[in-house]
Amino acid sequence: MGADSLLDIQNLKLDLPDGRRLLEGVSFQVQAGEALGVVGESGSGKSLTAMSVMGLLPGLRASGQIVFAGQDLVGLPDKSMRKLRGAGIAMIFQDPMTAFLPVRSIGAQIDEQIRLHQPLSRREARARTVQLLGRMGVPDPVMAAKRYPHQLSGGLRQRAMIAMALSCSPDLLIADEPTTALDVTVQAQILTLLREIRDEGAGVMLITHDMGVVAQACTHVAVMYSGLVVERGPVRDVLDRPLHPYTQALLAAIPPLEGPRPERLPTIPGQPPTPENRPSGCVFAPRCSFVRPDCAVRPALIETEEGRRVACVLYAA
Amino acid sequence: MSVLLEARRLEKQYRLGGGRVLHAVSDVSLQVHRGEALALVGESGCGKSSLGRTLIGLTHPTSGEVLFDGQRISGLSDRALRPWRARMQMVFQDSSAAFNPRRTVGESLAEPLRIHGRKNIRARVDDLLDQVGLARSVADRYPHEFSGGQRQRLNIARALVLGPDLLVADEPVSALDVSVQAQIVNLFRDLRASLGVACVFISHDLSVVRQMADRIAVMYLGSIVEEGDGLEVLDRPAHPYTKALLDAVPRPDRPLPPPLKGDVPSPVNPPSGCRFHTRCPIAQPKCATDRPSLQPCGTGRRVACHYPLVA
Ligand SMILES: Nc1ncnc2c1ncn2[C@@H]1O[C@H](COP(=O)(O)OP(=O)(O)OP(=O)(O)O)[C@@H](O)[C@H]1O
Ligand SMILES: Nc1ncnc2c1ncn2[C@@H]1O[C@H](COP(=O)(O)OP(=O)(O)O)[C@@H](O)[C@H]1O
Ligand code: SF4
Ligand code: SF4
Ligand SMILES: [Mg+2]
Ligand SMILES: [Mg+2]
Repeated sequence: MGADSLLDIQNLKLDLPDGRRLLEGVSFQVQAGEALGVVGESGSGKSLTAMSVMGLLPGLRASGQIVFAGQDLVGLPDKSMRKLRGAGIAMIFQDPMTAFLPVRSIGAQIDEQIRLHQPLSRREARARTVQLLGRMGVPDPVMAAKRYPHQLSGGLRQRAMIAMALSCSPDLLIADEPTTALDVTVQAQILTLLREIRDEGAGVMLITHDMGVVAQACTHVAVMYSGLVVERGPVRDVLDRPLHPYTQALLAAIPPLEGPRPERLPTIPGQPPTPENRPSGCVFAPRCSFVRPDCAVRPALIETEEGRRVACVLYAA
Repeated sequence: MSVLLEARRLEKQYRLGGGRVLHAVSDVSLQVHRGEALALVGESGCGKSSLGRTLIGLTHPTSGEVLFDGQRISGLSDRALRPWRARMQMVFQDSSAAFNPRRTVGESLAEPLRIHGRKNIRARVDDLLDQVGLARSVADRYPHEFSGGQRQRLNIARALVLGPDLLVADEPVSALDVSVQAQIVNLFRDLRASLGVACVFISHDLSVVRQMADRIAVMYLGSIVEEGDGLEVLDRPAHPYTKALLDAVPRPDRPLPPPLKGDVPSPVNPPSGCRFHTRCPIAQPKCATDRPSLQPCGTGRRVACHYPLVA
């Protein structure tokens, strides 16, 4: 890991102008051909991390490192960042309506995106748009390209957005809850697509709160809590044998789809801290059933075995 | 168990203009027993919310009837419905909309009690907050001061104010984080046990439904295609659509099978015959012409398919 990662985030911190710290030191890597799932409850900093990589957070102060293809993006001038977006890194969102203007056909918008980064004629760009839409499984892509965003179903709109994101063959695709608003049937189509994208060599960073989605679409997973990564590792290892008490509790809270039905679901007492009253020790301590005196000092994200890291005193050497 | 709510051949159509008619609910008959939890599942747009709202008289059915406690409530005027309203309440997904932002939650909870001339209002509000697992002191706070999970507890408290026999909860946990979701799922179970209130849960999440419901009705394009005991339906689906929904749920232990082909057809022009035949992996020629009716299948189960997967 490290030097040859496609994306290498080290100790990323993000501060509001008033001094409140939203990200407390996020570290993880994404390799080409792999998909990292980023999970954690709402407000844990998943989207902020993604937006930092995209350089889309004016007004917030970032420190630490976001190294993409050998280049540190923290503090990169807007102009260079804009070049990277679309060509090197692309992002898709939960709500595809945010990616498209309502008043123009989706085809026209994808054409434009393509021509921004490649010297193609209108006609050539449209041919590529149609080809992309077809690859995304959009039926009758020639007609679909002529439609306005509101004329497409949610699933088709989501696929059109992915087509737009992939139009310049980015090396890294960031997807922020891309299937949260979709039916499982449509979600299955999108997850299959993401898998193909990865098989073709791109790196994927997939933000989700659905552990099933992580299991299905990701090779690795990072668990965030209160602005920090508390555990990360290969998907199978983390899901089969979660180490951090928060990861364990999170997995236990999911109702099972087969086997015996529990009388009650295990829950986590309390609520996550807000940035202003984040504990100085372990951020999970107020809700952790294993808490002990040495949790009052913030545990580092240490390697417990090849490729696995956890921030918890229970695993300190 | 005795029947609390019964729907007979319900139809709900929306007129779209230009003479077009959208069939949101077609020919739905079902029963909800006292204290029972029934879940409505299916893809977006299949008519779950329309059915839920029609069941408790929030919208009028185009045809068919709804009986509550043996009495016909469909077709009643708003005025005539009022006494029934206290006995059937709705819990919505968007938990922030139900409370007036400028009033304390205690005032909001007390208001229906006052309107209905109930006594010992403060004690009743305290009771409600106890029941939904919130401190009594929260009565003096304003809606924006609560987290999503707390707001959903308040929302449930609001629905319980008048002591209903039936709650219809439309996606009550889908906007919540997994850990908060687990708390609300448990809360519904506690409330059903302690108050004996019947629930109709609308949800697209099959594992949540499995945890919350005694019985499940699977809907496709406005109709129930399979209905039966929750565990049985999900563990051994009889309708190809139920199976397709289950197959599409991502799980750690197996790769995703090939997704269901195509999109849901338009409810303005639903397909002929079995409405699922355009996407069904095992469709036969008969399916395109003959509409299967909901028939008994095994014990306490009903399935609308010419070729059910279990006998
Ligand atoms: N007031 C209305 N006027 C016209 N059409 C409507 C109206 N309300 C709902 N519909 C349509 O009726 C169908 C059923 O809608 P409904 O809201 O009941 O679906 P649902 O199963 O609850 O979907 P979701 O899972 O997205 O909430 C949909 O095609 C919807 O677009
Ligand atoms: N632009 C912003 N200004 C101030 N606070 C923000 C901003 N964006 C997000 N936050 C706060 O930062 C935290 C993390 O947010 P976010 O990354 O959106 O969480 P997630 O995507 O994990 O749900 C939350 O407490 C949120 O309220
Ligand atoms: S460091 Fe302590 S409080 Fe934090 S998760 Fe580990 S045991 Fe729990
Ligand atoms: S009736 Fe035919 S098309 Fe419909 S679900 Fe059964 S097999 Fe499939
Ligand atoms: Mg987010
Ligand atoms: Mg609905």
